[in-house]
Amino acid sequence: MSLNSDYAKPEEYGLADLLCCAAAREVQDNEVVFVGTGLPMVAILLAQRTHAPNLKLIFEAGTLDGRPAEIPTSVGDARCEAGSSLASGQYDAFSVAQRGYVDLGYLGGAEVDEYGNVNTTCIGDYLNPELRLTGSGGNPDINSFAQRTVFIMLHEKRRFVENVSYITSPGWRLKNWPTGEWVHRREMYGASFRGGPSAVISTLGVFRFAEDTGRMYLDTYHPGTTVEQILEQCQFKLDVSRVSGETAPPTREELHLIHDVLDPEEIFIPKGKKG
Amino acid sequence: MKNKKITIQEAAELVRDGSRLTFAGFTIWRKPFAVAYELIRQQRRNLHLIEVGGGSISDCLIGAGCVSVYESCWVGHELYGKYGANLSRKVKNREILMEDYSHGEMMFRFAAAAAGVPFAVSQSSLGTDIHNPEYDMLGRAGLRDGVKNPRSKYQFMDDPFYNGGKYVLLPAAKADVAVLSVQQVGEEGTVRIEGQCYCDPTVARAADITIAIAEEIVPESYLRQDSHVNTIPSFEVDYIVECPWNAHPSGMFGRYDVDGDFLRNFFQQTRSQEGFDAFAREWIYGLDHDSYLDKLGVTRLQRLRANTVLKYSTSRGKGK
Repeated sequence: MSLNSDYAKPEEYGLADLLCCAAAREVQDNEVVFVGTGLPMVAILLAQRTHAPNLKLIFEAGTLDGRPAEIPTSVGDARCEAGSSLASGQYDAFSVAQRGYVDLGYLGGAEVDEYGNVNTTCIGDYLNPELRLTGSGGNPDINSFAQRTVFIMLHEKRRFVENVSYITSPGWRLKNWPTGEWVHRREMYGASFRGGPSAVISTLGVFRFAEDTGRMYLDTYHPGTTVEQILEQCQFKLDVSRVSGETAPPTREELHLIHDVLDPEEIFIPKGKKG
Repeated sequence: MKNKKITIQEAAELVRDGSRLTFAGFTIWRKPFAVAYELIRQQRRNLHLIEVGGGSISDCLIGAGCVSVYESCWVGHELYGKYGANLSRKVKNREILMEDYSHGEMMFRFAAAAAGVPFAVSQSSLGTDIHNPEYDMLGRAGLRDGVKNPRSKYQFMDDPFYNGGKYVLLPAAKADVAVLSVQQVGEEGTVRIEGQCYCDPTVARAADITIAIAEEIVPESYLRQDSHVNTIPSFEVDYIVECPWNAHPSGMFGRYDVDGDFLRNFFQQTRSQEGFDAFAREWIYGLDHDSYLDKLGVTRLQRLRANTVLKYSTSRGKGK
C-alpha cells in the first residue's frame, strides 16, 4: 500500500477491520468480482472506494456491475440494485461465471483442508451428521468458475483439517466421480480450467496455495499472532517456509471508510477493538 | 377470459399432499409466506419441496412437518440466523430426506425444465462431494422412478463437440406447483417484477401450475402499455392472488424490507421442535393473513415500508 505512514495502531482497529482490509487488497482495479453476503461486501465496497474504482461487482441473486450506495444485508437486498448495470437473476449471475467473466470470488466456509477444499454442508458424516449447516449455496459454482477465490474464515483447529467432512467447494485436489480417485484440479476441469482458491484469510493469518501442488502455505500472520501459534491451530502440517511477514494493518483512511461511510450501522463490522 | 383470481386459501389448496412444490424469490426476499402459513394451517403433508434456493420460508414449512423431501442447495436466514435449524434438526433425526445440489446446478436444472429439455449441462462443482454417488439420497431411498424423480442424480460425459473435458448432466427440475411473490400482476396474469427478478421467470415457466401472489392486482392494460418492463407473460401464470404484505417477514424491492427482528427470533425460537410449535401457535394457527398483519401492527409495518425513491426502508438496522 502507498499510505504506509497512515497505518493505524493496534489499539485503533479490531480483527474484523483487519480481515476486511486484507480482503479488499486481494482485488485489482477493473476486475469482475463475485461477492457473497457478509464481511466481503464491506471489503469489496471498500476496494471500490480506494484502489479499485473500476471493479465490476456481481451479486449472486442477479445484480451485475452494481454500485450500491448503502451496504446490502444480503445479496438479494433491494440495496444491491442501486447504480447497477443490470438487475437480473441467478441464471445470469451463474451463466456469467460459467462463461468465464469472473476474475475473483469471495467465499466463506466452516472447514478447509490443505488443498483448499471447503465444507459448508455438514459437520461429521454426511449420512449421519452431527450438524447440518446451510448447504452449498453458490459457493461451489463461484469457486468452479472464477479465476481466483478468496475464503474468509474463523481460524480454529477443528476447522483447518486434514480432510473436510464433505467437499462442498472445489480446491486444488479433487475427487474424480463416479470412482472418486484424487486428481489435480487442472485435470478435473479440462479446457475450462481457469484457476482456483488463491487465498484463505483467517482470523490468524493469510494463506496461499503453491502454484504446482496446490498445497496451502502461510503468507502473513496477523499482528499479535505468531507462526507457532498458527501451526498449533492446523491439523495438517502447514508449510511455513514462505512466510513473508506480518499482515498489513488497516490504514486510518480505510477505517474511516468502513465505519463512517460503508457500515456506520455496524451491520457487519463492529467499531473499534470489539471487532 | 378465464378468471384467474383466487384467495390465499384456494392457492394453498392447489398444493396437494405429496405435491412437488417450488417457491421463487431469494433466501429472505419475495418469499410468499402468506401461502406457506396457509399450507401449515391446512396441515399439508409429504411435500417434495424443490427450490432453486431455500431460505426462511423453507425452514418454516419444514419445521411444521409439511415436507418429506427437500431438494435444493441452501437454507438459512442470511444475517439473521446462520443456518436452517429446523432442516438441520430433521436431517439429524432422519425425519426428512435432503437431496443436495449446488445453487448454480439448481438454477440450470430449472432452466432446463423451463426450456422443455430433459437435462442441463455444466461444469459446476466437479470433484466435490455434491457428485459423490454415495450421497444420492433419493436413489438410496428407492425413489428414482424416472417419472418425476430422475432415474439418476447426475450423469457425466465428455464434451462431444469441442474437446472441453468432463461435464455433468443435470436432470431438469420438475415441479407441480410454483408460487411466486411479486409486486404487480394483471388480471390476465402478466407479472411485473421490480428489482432483481431472481429465479422467478424461469420457475414460472418450468412448473405445471404457476400461482402469482401479488401486492396488488393492476389493470392488465396498464402493464401492456410498457410490456418491455414486464417479467412474465400472462399465459404462464395460471392463478393470481392479491395479498398485500404477502412476503412478510421476507422483503420486497420497492415495497418493504426484511423484518430482521422477526427472522432473528424465528431462528432462535425454533431451534427445538417445542420452540417451533410455540412459534406456530403464536403466529400461524388460529390466524389468517389479515389477523397476522393486525398482530404485527401498523407501526412495525410502517417501519419496514420502502422509501418510494430509494426502493428500500431508511429505518432498517441491526437490532432496531
